[in-house]
Amino acid sequence: MSRQRSMETILVSEYVSIGELVRLTGSRYSTLKHYTEEGMLPFEQAEENLTRRYRREETVARILWIKELKANGLSIPEIKEALDHE
Amino acid sequence: MTDLKLAQSFALIALNAQSSLYLTNAKKVSLRCMAAAVILEANLEGCFTQAENKLTFHKEVLEQSHSTLYREKVLQPLLHNHTEVIGDLNWWLKKASNLSKKKLKKFEIAISDYLKSINMLEEIPSLLGSDMYFDSAGVEMRAYRSNLETYSRITENIRAEILEEGSVTDEIICMLWLLRESGCMHDFFSRNELEKVNTRMNELYQSNLLAKALFPIQIHHGIELGIKQLLEMKTKFMKTYTGSSINFFFPFLERSQAVFIETEAWFDNSNKRLNSVLTRLRSYGHEVKVIEGGSIATLKIDNMLYDAMPHFVIMRVPIQGVRLVPKHPV
Repeated sequence: MSRQRSMETILVSEYVSIGELVRLTGSRYSTLKHYTEEGMLPFEQAEENLTRRYRREETVARILWIKELKANGLSIPEIKEALDHE
Repeated sequence: MTDLKLAQSFALIALNAQSSLYLTNAKKVSLRCMAAAVILEANLEGCFTQAENKLTFHKEVLEQSHSTLYREKVLQPLLHNHTEVIGDLNWWLKKASNLSKKKLKKFEIAISDYLKSINMLEEIPSLLGSDMYFDSAGVEMRAYRSNLETYSRITENIRAEILEEGSVTDEIICMLWLLRESGCMHDFFSRNELEKVNTRMNELYQSNLLAKALFPIQIHHGIELGIKQLLEMKTKFMKTYTGSSINFFFPFLERSQAVFIETEAWFDNSNKRLNSVLTRLRSYGHEVKVIEGGSIATLKIDNMLYDAMPHFVIMRVPIQGVRLVPKHPV
């Protein structure tokens, strides 16, 4: 079975898993899962049962932006709207 | 953002909020599992040579410069004076977890010193030391606190890997086993999530070689874990309606966890009361964040969540304050 990827490898790879996003951004898993379900974090999935893959650079930037908006007091629907207008 | 090894990551979870001065029962359970984590870490890094089911460890591997001091503290006693030792995974894990109290203490110092040197762990005054009864008695209590961000990265990563579809890495398989053996599963997964974790662990057992070898092994000591479970059962009972009312009449029943912080004055306003408690906790060196305000506020103190319930005790005069009741899962 596979070993966990090192931070060096993650930082150069194009795609990351949700667990690796947690390691990169320090966000809670349930938060990222919620964002994904709300359609705020786009992902790719090869087949139904395979892991969701996220584009690393774009997704990390997006999460940081969402965090910033949240810190400014915006609610999730408002953040969604802001992301749609992007 | 550093890459931590398996035993280091697990130590950050296991040592968090444990007493740093005394060898409590809960810390003994953690230390035994941490010693087993050292074996698993060495195994993942290929320090053992494997032939069929037997794992062989050569002394030279330990002498190589990259092996860290905490690893030596576990492996050296198992090697004695032999140049190589052979045993299956079960044998190695059981031997490591059965180290004497003295050796466990040395191992604790080695690993906590290392984690402190990389700013991942610190010693702070224990939250229980802020309790009015302990504070006024002048009892010194200190506890470990893991780096807040790293702690949540590690625990959330475990949750993400196991609760998400797809493959699970070897590190997470070892972590799950360590969490199970140290009796910490309930701290990180809610009851619904635990059902899913159970199913996933069964699937892994069927499909993964490491899981198949590891999951049937049990290193926990019945008596120690029994005491821990009894305390957990007590905590669960105290959360029920009857339990909580008993607890408010006889607060010493849950003294070990529910901390009473007295406020300097009588406040009719919950915000003022909360602010007074926050100031007091911060003055003791705790990192406090208000997750939810209101009359019963939810506070994140260091790495743990607490409900702050307004409460008073009657000594010679009534003393108003707040009782901090731990909340699980985090």
